[in-house]
Amino acid sequence: MRFCRVRSVAEAVDELSRWGTEGRILAGGTDVMPQYLRDEQSPAALIDISGIDGLQGISEVGGVTSVGALVTLRRLATASLIAMRHPALAQAAAAVGGWQTQTVATLGGNVCSGAPWADTVPALLIADAQMMLVSKSGRRRMNLGEFLEGAGATALRPTELLRAVELEPVGDRSAEGYVKVGRRSAMDLAAVGLALRLSLTPTGVVSDIRIAVCGGTRSPHRVPSVESAVVGSQLDDGRLDWAAAGAELASAAAPERTEAARYRRQVLPGLLSRLADRCVAGIPGECG
Amino acid sequence: MPGTADEQSVSVRVMVNDRAHQLDVDAGEVLLGTLRDRLGLTGPKEACGEGECGACTVLVDGGPVASCILAAGSTNGRVVRTVEGLAGTDELTTLQQAFVRHAAVQCGYCTPGVLMVLTALLDDVPEPTETDVRRALAGNICRCTGYQQIVEAALEAAGTVQS
Repeated sequence: MRFCRVRSVAEAVDELSRWGTEGRILAGGTDVMPQYLRDEQSPAALIDISGIDGLQGISEVGGVTSVGALVTLRRLATASLIAMRHPALAQAAAAVGGWQTQTVATLGGNVCSGAPWADTVPALLIADAQMMLVSKSGRRRMNLGEFLEGAGATALRPTELLRAVELEPVGDRSAEGYVKVGRRSAMDLAAVGLALRLSLTPTGVVSDIRIAVCGGTRSPHRVPSVESAVVGSQLDDGRLDWAAAGAELASAAAPERTEAARYRRQVLPGLLSRLADRCVAGIPGECG
Repeated sequence: MPGTADEQSVSVRVMVNDRAHQLDVDAGEVLLGTLRDRLGLTGPKEACGEGECGACTVLVDGGPVASCILAAGSTNGRVVRTVEGLAGTDELTTLQQAFVRHAAVQCGYCTPGVLMVLTALLDDVPEPTETDVRRALAGNICRCTGYQQIVEAALEAAGTVQS
């Protein structure tokens, strides 16, 4: 195996095009290295992109947040711009592994692993994330929902690199959050993760709601059947009855005939109502 | 220039405990192996070998990392600190002294990693709460102490509680 250290996106895409499916991108390495050490992966080359300065930025321009692929989970969990504009993403990043993992693990790695339990992905899905991809033949952008192609699979081509993720920040009359349940409260993969973004009119009508889940057997995904059932609902005394939405969420997000899915069906309704109440309380105005 | 690495090995310039090193490491080598086998720094311990238990924790550019799964090649240009780099020649750090006073060490296998995480915490958060301390320790497994003495030692070292 070769170790190819690259310093720029141009060098990275050169190496990716040279190695193709034989090359493996190395960023924080918290997935790649354990897989290599367990002999689950034997790439001909590790392409170390961790030194590319141009992929480390967080910025907000023209109402769009751009997060570089190499931004670490620790930075996402602690950066003030993310805390203000993407609180669900900050909470999701803080829920991945322990501090040791968060120090080096990157947003790009969490998304491109294609893992069904990737905590940051539901938080990105409710921000309508766009994947900014680059290869030797040019650039393309792709909606995150289309990018994810099932457990462990994404639309990322072997010669392609994720540069950044572009996100729609949470609006003035909106709030969002992420909650996760695992077998223990830290250092475990999500059995269920739920991200919610809720927007209300001044009179307390749900003007927009976005729900995304992770932790099942397939890619993290939005749950449009619940979103369309809830949008337009009127809060009553600052509350919404989430029972019907919770039941729909459980059956839509965990339909499998397995014990693990049965557990997720039991947990999801409670997570939804708790997270929704937290969001409502976070939106200013008489509706809350 | 990409791809200048020799087959199977890569050159790394890395600062470890204030000493500069120029090393040729294997492409698949992890930092823990470099520290223990090439530099003789056996403070960081191997236990799980897959980044789950924290016994191998060292600081890279001030942040705690699991050195058992960190590619040695990716530490080029970085600053590494191990438990050997905490104390001076004859004086332990405030945190280490608090560990001794509180008997926060039993078998000691987790201790080098725990000390590094808590050192990073005290650098980051001057007055941590007990919750901050326990959250920081989420990635460090200790099967002897039940964590209580470790948490008390950390809080005393931070000056959050009186000894």
